[in-house]
This record gives sequence, C-alpha cells and structure tokens, in this order.
Amino acid sequence: MAEFDDIIHQPLRLKIMAALNALPAAQGLEFARLKKLTGATDGNLGAHIETLAKAGYVAVDKAFVGKKPQTTVTATADGRGAFARHVATLREIIAGAGPDGG
Amino acid sequence: MSGVDARQAAQALSEIDAIVRRVRQSRIYDIASLMLIQWGGLVVAGYLGGYFWPRAAGWLWVAVNAVGVAGSFAIGAVVRRRTGAGAFDPRVPLALLLFFAFGYLTCVFGAFGPRELGAFWPIYFMLVYTIAGLWVGSAFVAIGLGITALTLLGYVFAGVWFEPWMAVVNGGGLVLGGLWMRRD
Repeated sequence: MAEFDDIIHQPLRLKIMAALNALPAAQGLEFARLKKLTGATDGNLGAHIETLAKAGYVAVDKAFVGKKPQTTVTATADGRGAFARHVATLREIIAGAGPDGG
Repeated sequence: MSGVDARQAAQALSEIDAIVRRVRQSRIYDIASLMLIQWGGLVVAGYLGGYFWPRAAGWLWVAVNAVGVAGSFAIGAVVRRRTGAGAFDPRVPLALLLFFAFGYLTCVFGAFGPRELGAFWPIYFMLVYTIAGLWVGSAFVAIGLGITALTLLGYVFAGVWFEPWMAVVNGGGLVLGGLWMRRD
C-alpha cells in the first residue's frame, strides 16, 4: 500500500517536488527559476521550501555567485522516495475509484 | 485517510505533469539558447563576409558550418557536465551528417546560385527548428517561421542588400531568439 503524504500534497509543495524530481539526482534549481516555474511569490515559496527542508525532502544551498547571493534547492533521496510514493498513492486513488472516476 | 478523491488525485497528477513538462522545456531552452546565440554570431559573420568578399564566400561558409558544429558539440559537452545530464548520444552527429548531406545534394541537383544558396540554407535550418518546435517548445516554431518568412522577403525584395539583410534577420534573429529563451 502506498502512503499519502500531507507535506507533499499541498499544491505549491507538490509543484516544487515535481519540478525538483524532474531533474537528474543531485541537480537542483535556483530559487529564481523555481519561482518562475511554480508561479509563486518569494515569501510563499521560501516558506514552503522551509517546510520541505524541515521534513528532509529538500536540501537548500546558499552561495554567492560573484557578488549575488544564489539559493539552490535540491530534492534529497528521502524527498525523491516520498514523492514517488505519493504519486503512487494518487494513482491508486484514481484506480480505486473505477472507470467513471466516482 | 487522505480525504482526497479521484478527481482531486487526477488534478494533482495533471499539475505534476505540467510542471515536469515546463522543467524539461526549460532545460532544452537552456542548451538550445546557447547554440542559437553561437550560430547567430557565426551566421552574421558568414553573410557579411560573403557580402564584402564574395569570392571567398564558399570557403567562408564551410568554415562557419565547421566552427558551428564544433561549437555546438562543445556547448553540449559543457552543459552535460554542468547539469549531470545523460551521456553523449552518437545519433546526434549522424543526424547532422544526414542533414548536411541532404542539403548539399539538394544544392548540387538544384544548381543553385549564390542568392539561392543564401536563402536555401537558413530556410532548411529553420524547417528543422520548426518541426522540432512542435515537440519541444513554441519558441522554436516562432523563430523558425519568423526567420523563414523574413528570408523569403529578403530573397524577393532585398536586391543587392540580400546578404546584409540576411545577416540581420537570420543571424540577428537567431541571437535574439536565443536571448529570448534565456530571458528568465
């Protein structure tokens, strides 16, 4: 039985995890790129990344590129596993509902 | 218990698919934009070189294409190393070989003059961009169709200014298209 993950299922966190999981392992996305992809505001995105980081699902790396600060977010192995299980759960819910989706 | 019904689950999966598509498109644009900018600069040099030194135009374009292909492989290698993307695909050089061979044969059998050659190659390149764009992103379609239309306009109306016209619309168009892809 797959497991439903309330941390991931929140709409913006789901988008963040989906975006990071679309990348090869160990590759992350810059905060600005993630903001563009998800359509979130700075504050909202930052808060949800923090929630995912506290759960151990993403790693946040802050560095300076030249004189500009750059934040890169990467899905951890735990995060990738949790996301895969969450997607499996969603598919089970749909499959369990039958062909008419009801 | 999740409290999520099938409709909500389907919507969540649909949102995941949409984001994954955008990330993939963004990665394609990342590498393609660098190649477009590189080819744009080379094409400007090729057309302006052909305009000012028409007798050297043939060799100039051989050099432009050789540098362009080598540069494209170099960009691909750098981006692959930076992003950890998949290994080098040997089908890519084979596709390029087929592309150039077909173009070359078309020019030989068509007995094209310099002006026809100057119009044929960008239209041929843009045909590939446009077809690829149907799968990988609308920017390719816009760039391909836009440059094709401007090339045909120049071929018919630009007169002796055809090569400078092509330097601007083809070379400049590729550079602008590449910069547009990198706008975020």
